[in-house]
Amino acid sequence: MKKQSINVKNKLGTSGKDSDKYFRPESKEELKKILEDYTDELTVIAGGTDLLVANYKNLYKIEKWLDLNWLDSFKEIKIFDDKVEIGSMVTHERLDKLDQIKEHFPVIQKAAADVGSPQIRSRGTIGGNIVTSSPAGDLLPTLLVYDAKLKIISKDGERIVDANDFFTGPKQNVLGDGELVEKIILPLEENKSKGAWVKVGKRKALVISSISLALNLVFDNDNKIKDARICVGSAAPVPLRIEKAEQSLKNKKIKKVNIAEIAQIVSDEISPIDDIRGTAEYRRKVAYNITKSALQEVINQ
Amino acid sequence: MKKQGRGMASIMFGFGYGEGFPDHSIAEVEITKDKRIKVRTAGADLGQGFLTTMTQIAAEVLKIDPSYIEIVGQDTHKAKNSGSTSATRQTFFSGNAVREAAEEVMGKIYHYGSLYFNSNHPELTVKDGELYACDECEKITYWELAEIVEQRGKELKAEATFFPKTYAPDRKTGQGEKIYVAYTFMTQVMDIEVDTDTGLIEVMNVYTALDVGRAINPQNVHGQIEGGTVQGLGMAMMEDQVIEEGITINADMTNYLVPSIQDIPNFESTLIENNDSGGPFGSKGVGEPTIIGASPALSNAVYDAIGVRIKSLPITPEKILNALEEKK
Repeated sequence: MKKQSINVKNKLGTSGKDSDKYFRPESKEELKKILEDYTDELTVIAGGTDLLVANYKNLYKIEKWLDLNWLDSFKEIKIFDDKVEIGSMVTHERLDKLDQIKEHFPVIQKAAADVGSPQIRSRGTIGGNIVTSSPAGDLLPTLLVYDAKLKIISKDGERIVDANDFFTGPKQNVLGDGELVEKIILPLEENKSKGAWVKVGKRKALVISSISLALNLVFDNDNKIKDARICVGSAAPVPLRIEKAEQSLKNKKIKKVNIAEIAQIVSDEISPIDDIRGTAEYRRKVAYNITKSALQEVINQ
Repeated sequence: MKKQGRGMASIMFGFGYGEGFPDHSIAEVEITKDKRIKVRTAGADLGQGFLTTMTQIAAEVLKIDPSYIEIVGQDTHKAKNSGSTSATRQTFFSGNAVREAAEEVMGKIYHYGSLYFNSNHPELTVKDGELYACDECEKITYWELAEIVEQRGKELKAEATFFPKTYAPDRKTGQGEKIYVAYTFMTQVMDIEVDTDTGLIEVMNVYTALDVGRAINPQNVHGQIEGGTVQGLGMAMMEDQVIEEGITINADMTNYLVPSIQDIPNFESTLIENNDSGGPFGSKGVGEPTIIGASPALSNAVYDAIGVRIKSLPITPEKILNALEEKK
């Protein structure tokens, strides 16, 4: 028997049977019902800036659409004492423009401003960027340097996954059938932190990065580096934390850091490939250079 | 580190098909009773301003506000051949055909006007679509004259063909009598910054001096300089067809890059107008000449900035970094 899950409102203004394949829940309860009914048949659409491009010639093959754009709770940004929660449907545009993001997570703000074009930033979402899981996804290295956690929901419940464990390969991640990223949880650091963002692309806008680098250093009260996170994009199958470099930054005063040594570690640790956006050799050289310039930028801050 | 450089290139560009090819344009101009001046030409406007330019030329010759001019055609069913919109030729070729056809019509205005006023040609004056028998005296509009001419079984209408002769160059010396109808000259200077960390080039300023003979529409000419140079910079810095095992792997606008609006430099352009060509009002073609200076000017600027000559296009960030390494 065919299940009756389609909101009658959806039928307004449509004709034929297309709307039978399209779901747009407006509450978590409605979402849960749809997930229960159709778990493994759904194609989830957020901003559509990746999905529609990837399926441009065969959209008709998509069996059932789950449109998250009507879930207002997925668009919320909540600020607590110790963390900030960003709904997965928050757009790059909002990440770029919101003062709270700029204040607490400047590296995310800068990366969001570098995404695509104004049109893409106003449609594309942080959740979409995460779930597409491209090694070149602009926001991904920045989430990893702020130690983000992802809240994943499904009809069976929810789980929390470290962003650093989420990505498993190019366009691959740990999401199972019927699982969605609901929100991104970013811990608020008590100590002072400084960060940098570098995106290298062959033109200034609307470009997939050749390589990118996010850096976040947390300082203790003695001005020593308490916590260091460096993550490189477009230089490995996943956005890659360079833990060896992070370890050698820790417990040092920034002025005592051997910048060239850190840059060499980053250049050695990545595993880039040759592709249309750059050769592996180019990426290793640039990784070295931009690590140096990012550390220098933090020193100058 | 950012390193600054400045580079210059000068170009000359022979336009039209030239080299003895039977390149020509045909145009027709007609004054109609319904207060329109119809210009029939099959030339295509690809956004470069063909319609504007032809309108201005007809209006200038016929001494009337451009709002009366109507370009009919862009279609060989409605107008005769105007040749292709290519080879930087339309202003010169179709412009000349329109100018000549309009001059023929002006001749007819004087001829039938003198019959109407029963006066001599030197006593007639034309201004704003009206023909005067003398200053501040009897006058007749073009439209009234068209009606009178029609009663005589004639028309205020003329066709003209611009069909200049060119010659193939000597195969050995490359010299020739007149290989192209005219040459456009341009010098460009570019200021750039090379990022030695990433190999990326930023073009800051482009200064252009363009000998265009006469700018029929200066704003359009500035637009051609800026648009053409940006295309040329795409060729110089980005555009790269990548073929692997016989397949083009970047046949889309995501991976075959051309400059975005963010990549466009500041422009400062000067037009040199010596009215010295055989084009309409001394004008010359301005399409392709604006593209070809970018690559040599940029490559000279790169040399000035980092002391390395890059000898293939596009000048990619990889090539810059490799060259810097070899130089060490």
